[in-house]
Amino acid sequence: MLSWAGNWRGKKQHGKLDWHGYLFILPILAVLVFLDFSPLAYGIYYSLTDFSLLHIFNYSYVGARNYYIILFENNPSLATLIWQTFVWSGGSIILMSSLGFMLALLMNQPGIRGTKLYRTIYLFPWAYPAFITILIWKGLLDYNLGFINKVLAMVGVEKVYWLGLSSTSMFSMILVNLWLSFPYYTFVYTAALQSVPKELYDAARIDGYGTTGTVRKVALPLLKRQISFVTIFGFIFTWNNFYIPFLLTGGGPGTSTYILITYAYNEVSIAYPSWGLASAYAMINVLILLVFVILINKFTRMMSVVY
Amino acid sequence: MEINGKVVDKPGEEHFSVSRNLHFRRVRIIKRIATHLVLIAVAVYSIFPIYYMFVNSLSPGITLASVSINSLLPLPTRLNLANYTGLFRFDGSALLNIWLPNTLFYSGSATIIALGLSFSAGLALSRFRIPGKRVILYMMLILSTFPLAIMVIPLYDMFSELSLTNSYFGMIILYSGGAVIFNAWLIKNFTDGIPADFEESAQIDGHTRTQALFRVLLPMVKPVLIMSMLLAFFGPYSDYLLINMMVSNGKLDNMAQGLYKYSQISSQAINFGQFSAFSIVMGLPIFILFIVFQRYLVSGFSIATYK
Repeated sequence: MLSWAGNWRGKKQHGKLDWHGYLFILPILAVLVFLDFSPLAYGIYYSLTDFSLLHIFNYSYVGARNYYIILFENNPSLATLIWQTFVWSGGSIILMSSLGFMLALLMNQPGIRGTKLYRTIYLFPWAYPAFITILIWKGLLDYNLGFINKVLAMVGVEKVYWLGLSSTSMFSMILVNLWLSFPYYTFVYTAALQSVPKELYDAARIDGYGTTGTVRKVALPLLKRQISFVTIFGFIFTWNNFYIPFLLTGGGPGTSTYILITYAYNEVSIAYPSWGLASAYAMINVLILLVFVILINKFTRMMSVVY
Repeated sequence: MEINGKVVDKPGEEHFSVSRNLHFRRVRIIKRIATHLVLIAVAVYSIFPIYYMFVNSLSPGITLASVSINSLLPLPTRLNLANYTGLFRFDGSALLNIWLPNTLFYSGSATIIALGLSFSAGLALSRFRIPGKRVILYMMLILSTFPLAIMVIPLYDMFSELSLTNSYFGMIILYSGGAVIFNAWLIKNFTDGIPADFEESAQIDGHTRTQALFRVLLPMVKPVLIMSMLLAFFGPYSDYLLINMMVSNGKLDNMAQGLYKYSQISSQAINFGQFSAFSIVMGLPIFILFIVFQRYLVSGFSIATYK
């Protein structure tokens, strides 16, 4: 392991303010302005126009009409889309985080052999580009030709419409996300568990706690902050995780597996190009994210790392 | 706890230390076997899709329909490279002539640009007393939770206005800009953990401040540089979201777009062997880089989230 144990508060710096330093951070500022703030500004502007394939050269200001369409006219409704995004993100994070924590606990037991080998193997789903493995999963889960249904048929279980029914496809998406993401949580939680001093585990054993007792009374209270931080960030990351919903189901069947970001991308700007409407969706998503960031900051004091 | 509870609860049994030990040992062995069973099951789950892809890429004439347990456990003599040679000829050798060179060009230039910019910015943010630094750090932190993905539609509007769509230049701006902020943030945090005494003594030896930073600090931050290099390379390598939005000219396509063409189930059904071979050709380099440099990546990702 590297020593990442940085001094997060930074060294106390003295002396005069250094305008010369701007030379070095100019690229950062340029990126912030050009790739973050201007698209935001452009996004707000275009969300108020009818910029679409029909009006590609002569779009005009239409006021809040796009937002009106999103709120009152469009099907699926905004509430449905937000709910689907929430189910996707919440369901994924619960499964990923608990599987990761469980594996970290299992491998952290004293005297378990081969943990190094297991850990290397658990890296595989993380190490292989997700874009490719999602497409592989799509083939595996296919109703007629997929390998998983073939195995089920051999055991005598009825085939499952993994991606073809609105009731199962969200679940399949979450399962694929679990495969892709549990390694990350396993590694983070392993590092967290190893940061707890060994003496505490020994003391718990002497006090007569078994495995579950040690976890409940020692590990969980000490790691509460880290676990909540990882979980919240995982939730936000999954909220905007584009590739799984886009590649695996493409929003279907119907619109049952669209999340906000794939809906804006796929339905509004590729299938029926209306970039003004899509921008309005993006702005709504930015707004939701801002609310999340404010909430997180309230609960975890994320911003304290800056000082 | 159970073990201890049982032993203490039953008076009389505590004299039979032999049977107590036996019982204790038996429970421990059962627990250990159960642990390994779970760990092995997860290991199989992790490996299976990658193994499936690998074997199918070597099985000539395989289709999605003909994949079976037998075809997944083939005799070595039945495997050959026919799918790979077929893949390189497909679509006028588009993989070798367009997709692969484009991908390497995008990823390579984004890596070089992002690394240079984020290195100087990260050092400056760690070491210089820049006016307004805290505001800039806040912005970076907030915006790093906003992936470019949610900005892609406003970005498209903006880039089309500036005629940056359908151009290598536009893509490289996006890719290097997408990596700079997070990498600068990483480098800043890593540098904060290195005492300033090293550069100060170099300055006493007669180097200028900039010289001291680049000559003395550069070798010490090597781990974080390797990590940001890999991150900057991985991002564009399997990007589909941005390029599919920004580019409609097939000459600028990358490998992810090529693979996507193969990936539709109808085409997977026919060209499944070639699709698998494509998945290996595209994914294996990233996979190997990830496994080789895992200690940099894993520790870096954990510092990025839960501190």
